[in-house]
Amino acid sequence: MIKKILIILVASIALTACHETEKWNADVYGNFDALWTIIDQHYCFLDQKDIDWDAVYSKYHMRIGNDMTAREFFDICSDMLAELKDGHVNLSSSFDVSYYRKWWSDYPQNYDARLIEQYYLNFDYSSVSGMKYAVLPQNVGYINYGSFSYMVGESALDAILYSFAPCRGLIIDIRDNGGGDMTNVETIVRRFIDERILAGYISHKTGPGHSDFSKPYAYYFDPAPAGRRRWLKPVVVLTNRSTFSAANNFVSIMKLLPNVKIVGDRTGGGSGMPFSSEIPCGWGVRFSACSVLDALGQSTESGIEPSQGCKVDLDPAKALEGIDTMLEKAIEVLLVE
Amino acid sequence: MKRIFGTIFLALVAVTAVARRDSVEVLRPVTSAYSVEFGSSHLTDTYLTPLNYDGWTTAMAYERLQAPRFNPSGAIMQLRGRLSVDRDRNPARNATMWGLDLNVDWGVLWRLKSSRLPHGIALSGGFNTAIDLGALYLARNGNNPVTAKASWTVGISAMVVYNFKIGALPVTFRYQPSMPLTGVFFSPDYGELYYEIYLGNKSGLVHCAWPGNYFRFDNLITLDLRFKGATLRLGYHNEIYSGKVNNIVSGHTVHSFVIGLANEWISLSPRRKLSDNAKIISAIY
Repeated sequence: MIKKILIILVASIALTACHETEKWNADVYGNFDALWTIIDQHYCFLDQKDIDWDAVYSKYHMRIGNDMTAREFFDICSDMLAELKDGHVNLSSSFDVSYYRKWWSDYPQNYDARLIEQYYLNFDYSSVSGMKYAVLPQNVGYINYGSFSYMVGESALDAILYSFAPCRGLIIDIRDNGGGDMTNVETIVRRFIDERILAGYISHKTGPGHSDFSKPYAYYFDPAPAGRRRWLKPVVVLTNRSTFSAANNFVSIMKLLPNVKIVGDRTGGGSGMPFSSEIPCGWGVRFSACSVLDALGQSTESGIEPSQGCKVDLDPAKALEGIDTMLEKAIEVLLVE
Repeated sequence: MKRIFGTIFLALVAVTAVARRDSVEVLRPVTSAYSVEFGSSHLTDTYLTPLNYDGWTTAMAYERLQAPRFNPSGAIMQLRGRLSVDRDRNPARNATMWGLDLNVDWGVLWRLKSSRLPHGIALSGGFNTAIDLGALYLARNGNNPVTAKASWTVGISAMVVYNFKIGALPVTFRYQPSMPLTGVFFSPDYGELYYEIYLGNKSGLVHCAWPGNYFRFDNLITLDLRFKGATLRLGYHNEIYSGKVNNIVSGHTVHSFVIGLANEWISLSPRRKLSDNAKIISAIY
């Protein structure tokens, strides 16, 4: 009996001892296959963007060879990744980082920092937690937040909102804000709500198949705790095509609040939460792995339109006169509210 | 009914009194050892990277062995704690993965009758239960740099002990394999970011362990050289772990050299006199 148990035990150990991982050669073909497989198994928008990833393999595989230089191979891999049309996708080597830029480079920039600082802020503003802020002559508070990578302090928000107490409205300018830390989104949004809100949904991949996704998980934001300053008066969020990733997520949540209008241009999108991996030659690859949906369950990967009647571009001719037509529109919307 | 309980009570008192009169006072010394380990490490975690990493490992370990009160001559009680650090590199040698792990396990092994084994070799086998907490950190991954490790398992363990002498020096050889059979362990989902867990999605994080999805095999060989003042412990530690859940494969293989100090001690009350027929039952010596 003991002998039988031992045989079963040893057999089960032998059968289960090692879980194999996919192995690739260190040559050009091995690295190409590794890169293609990582995207094939982990990228979350292949089906949503209707990308035939097998066809992409055939298209680029025929262009590679073991006699090519690292630079040539890198360029082909970068071209392959550009098929995803995703600003969250990068290939990182020791000599270059690939980057898909068309989500903003094909559109007007619609933002000139100097224009704001010189003609609206008079180079006289306060700055804390990556936020430049001042009260505009129309008695409107203005915050320029350049990146969600800057950690936002609760005390800093208290100070900013306190200084805006007499104002009739508030502009949060996140043009050219390329995203950053999602926890900063929550920290800021909490100041603009007075009850728990559905912020959105998040869905991750559950397996290597293109349609292996978890059920979207609803996540909620609570108001800032009592004692912290909140802002429930009218708000305008100013956006352009370079409003991306965490900034795009911020817009998707703020847009559904009753006292908030989105003014400017469509955002750049980037609703996929990025993941990192690597291929045998040591190059890193970053890609969208989890899809974040807005509170209506809609994907914002391709960007968010401004509120109705609030789409506006920066007029270059007016800019030469020191007028930011987008900021003017934001002020106008607030004064009408 | 009262009469029945009274009879049972009197019988128990009588049996206990006889047992006390016939019992031999048993002293159960504690064998404790502090050791450090150095060796090679191989790490795999497809949540962080599809590539296998290799490098070095180092650990501090503590072990406590004692014959248990409930069966001093027939069992061994063991407590082990181990804190390890791994530093592994990717095949291209341009990225580093750090591993930190704390493992605590407790077990009881029953001694097989030594008369059945040649040359005084002592064989014992039993069960153990372990808690393992740790994390892997891969700095190059901007959005998913860390994955946590946590498990509670129940498994089996065996121990072969052979006491012999090299000249006049008493030496104790011990080989101990251990393997968890079941338990629970933590794993994020295939493409799940820890941010989603932070947002509150806790579903599907805890999994039932069995050797098919959580295989761990631990081999420890020690040689205790029992000098007069102290016992020098030399040894080899091998750990093989291979897990697969949520389409995530993780693995850890360690080969390390063990060096440490062990001693055997017993706490006695100076106010209490030892009986003349006191018997010392050591765990492994």
